[in-house]
Amino acid sequence: MTTLDTPAPAVPVTPAARAVRAWHTLRSSRTAVIGLAVVAVHVLIALLAPLLTSYDPVANDAGQALLGPGRHHWAGTDQYGRDVLTRVLYGGRYALGVSAAATVLTIALGTVIGCTAALRGGWFDDLLGRVLDAVLSVPSILALLVVVTALGTGPAVIVLAVAVVYVPQVVRVIRGAALAVVPADYVTAARARGEGTWSILRREVLPNIVDVVCVEFAMRASWVVLLISSLSFLGFGAAPPTPDWGLMVAENRTAITVVPMASLAPIIALATLVVGLNLAADGLSKAWGVDRIRKGSR
Amino acid sequence: MTSTVPAAPPADRATAPVVAVRALSVAYRAGGRDIPVAHEVSFEVAPGRTLALVGESGSGKSTVAATLLGHLRHGSRITGGSVTVAGSDVFALTARQLRRLRGSTVALVAQNAGHALTPTMRIGRQIAEAGGDVPVTELLDQVRLPRPAELARRYPHELSGGQQQRVAIAMAIAARPKVLVLDEPTTGLDVVTQRSVLDLVGALRDELGLAAVLVSHDLGVVAHTADEVTVLRAGRVVESAPTRRLFAAPRDPYTRRLLASVPRLDDTGLARVGEDGEREVRPRSAVPADAPVAVTARDVTIDYGTTRAVHGVSFDVRRGEVLALVGESGSGKSTLAWTLAGLRTPSGGTLTHPAGDLARPARSRPRALRSRVQLVFQNADTSLNPRRSVGDAIRHPLRLFGTAATRAEAADRARILIGDVRLDPALADRLPAQLSGGQRQRIGIARALAGRPDVLIADEITTALDVSVQADVLRLLDDLRRERDLACLFISHDLAVVRGIADRVVVLRHGVVVEEGPTEAVFAAPGHPYTRQLMAAALEPDPDARPRAGGTPDSVPGWRDAATPDDVWTDHGDGHRVRRWHPETEAPHETAAATAEETEGAA
Repeated sequence: MTTLDTPAPAVPVTPAARAVRAWHTLRSSRTAVIGLAVVAVHVLIALLAPLLTSYDPVANDAGQALLGPGRHHWAGTDQYGRDVLTRVLYGGRYALGVSAAATVLTIALGTVIGCTAALRGGWFDDLLGRVLDAVLSVPSILALLVVVTALGTGPAVIVLAVAVVYVPQVVRVIRGAALAVVPADYVTAARARGEGTWSILRREVLPNIVDVVCVEFAMRASWVVLLISSLSFLGFGAAPPTPDWGLMVAENRTAITVVPMASLAPIIALATLVVGLNLAADGLSKAWGVDRIRKGSR
Repeated sequence: MTSTVPAAPPADRATAPVVAVRALSVAYRAGGRDIPVAHEVSFEVAPGRTLALVGESGSGKSTVAATLLGHLRHGSRITGGSVTVAGSDVFALTARQLRRLRGSTVALVAQNAGHALTPTMRIGRQIAEAGGDVPVTELLDQVRLPRPAELARRYPHELSGGQQQRVAIAMAIAARPKVLVLDEPTTGLDVVTQRSVLDLVGALRDELGLAAVLVSHDLGVVAHTADEVTVLRAGRVVESAPTRRLFAAPRDPYTRRLLASVPRLDDTGLARVGEDGEREVRPRSAVPADAPVAVTARDVTIDYGTTRAVHGVSFDVRRGEVLALVGESGSGKSTLAWTLAGLRTPSGGTLTHPAGDLARPARSRPRALRSRVQLVFQNADTSLNPRRSVGDAIRHPLRLFGTAATRAEAADRARILIGDVRLDPALADRLPAQLSGGQRQRIGIARALAGRPDVLIADEITTALDVSVQADVLRLLDDLRRERDLACLFISHDLAVVRGIADRVVVLRHGVVVEEGPTEAVFAAPGHPYTRQLMAAALEPDPDARPRAGGTPDSVPGWRDAATPDDVWTDHGDGHRVRRWHPETEAPHETAAATAEETEGAA
């Protein structure tokens, strides 16, 4: 009946300790590790492309056009005589860069709007819900095409367009997660202290939905990569000489019977990236779910 | 409903036990080691008898009770001993036999009936699903629910908590089991409802010849209901004895301390419990007559949409004084607390503090006023952010309210505050999940103190705690109000707790004050029948407790409100006043109580 009895584990809570714990959680899921490894390899290749190949991804060489896989060109060449492997290695830069920017923007906007809707409630939430319903009822590729046709095809426009298309879905997910946190007494306590919406969001709500946000990020990234590559394929993304997977498939599909590798290679690259992102999202959500059950926290 | 429970069959009628637990040990594996949950627990229950498993949280009482149904929590296993129910060894049964056992021999009534009932299914169908040949209406009648045929067509949310618990009991007895396992059956229910549910359980046990195993942390409930008591502590049986003997002469020091920790209705202050269970009641500190008033409420009304939760409540709280708001759920006491804290706005009346107007929501109050009025929550488990260290939880308001100017000063002051609530300042680096319930509640208090408040609102702060921890937290609160001259609004449904800590009491019923006055006066001579009913329903940890002032809850006569706008109060002197009422002779209490419960369910 002493009052100073303390449970045994005296683990200090430092950011480092938190990172270590997150890492252990992550390690516990093989799916997540494999997925993240695949994504990491893609990122590394895109960054180190100039070191991995000696060919120029853009320069034409008519004499080397439409070669099959061989000693000099492992994946052959396309109709302009450019090395396919080189273009695939460089091709990740555009897709990854634009996708990362678009996903970060989408998730950031979606998280802030979703949390605010959950915290504020009332007319703000109602109005937002109806607006999002309206946006969600437009097919995403159609909405994208409209934005791109109206504003041009620069990477900035694409990032913005993707955000417009995907923010409503992210808002839905984050709002749902935040709604579970908002009735908690610690949020009420912050309200009773008279704190503003932004401060409550940052201090009380966000730390408790970080896992949902991360999973949403990984999952949304795979959708965004696909969408951006589809845009390139349709001719609205990367401009022609740029090495880009979607664009490469579009350029080389006429010659698919002559040099199938020219179309297949970018498809394989794209597919592995998307599968990697999906595995990461899946693994993370499971690892965190199990973690929550074990730790008994909400 | 009227049976006073000790209807235990005489010893010579005692038949062979229907439940026999022998040297049962349960453990779960964690980190490659076996961690024992129960260690060599043994007991027997004969038909028609009630055995209570008593202990604080973590004592393993629920784990042991669940083994009667052949249930073990995931990861746990039996490491020794046996559980025999109606002649069969529960853990030797096949899955199919076990299902039959659970369906027809042993039945469970869980803690929160509201969660145990399927919300989308009508009551009648749910009970029918439980099996057995007894017609649904007969079952509902048996658990003393009025108009069973009509009730069977309702959905769970249309019933009050007490009615839901009765339905859960009806489901449990549908298949005419031999053993009833009651896991905290009345926790979360109001005192009056609790009393009637317990009386029902006692009556059913006698009618159907059931053996009942009651799991409870509430010694009042145990004293009222059980024939025998087994006290558990950290998975071991500390003491096992017939109820009367245990309460009259507890042998183990732990049992003595446990019993002594329970607040009594006739304590005149907070009791300090010694190592060997001796009680020493500390008299309440006298509030000086000229203490300044910290909060003044005049004719406050609060609405939820179109329903009025609080009807014109007035009170004053002075510095250094504890004012208790007492009432059942739905009485508007928590609504009042939240309004004071600025989480709701009153729809009428005035609510003032010397530093400003409290009728405004927290966000539009000036910072100086916000920091002066602070709220402590009922449930410490959810009032602290699980992702932030407890030190952080205290440092933040320190900075927000400007009590500490720099980070370093905030850190220092946070450690001092943690020390002030009698905890080790080293706990500042822990996460809430690494603290015990009592420690978390202390941190909740420390956080409220960060803004140097002069008004502290304590909303049922000890309800979720074990009795010994409850006693410590109450003492802490009492110390703090002495040290810091706090005006404290103490909200509770537990009259015994209120008796120990409060200087004045306000009794609320359906948002209306029915009685108010100094604690001594109200407890010595409750003037309103509702107050008497509450007191009569409070269960004391003494099987031979004599009915208090008003007798048993059922002997309180019917009454009706007789207050008129210009004549509301009957004054008993010294600030003790009672809302005017008239005895209602023609309506017997039985139906009055039933209708009261029904209106509560409909609300």
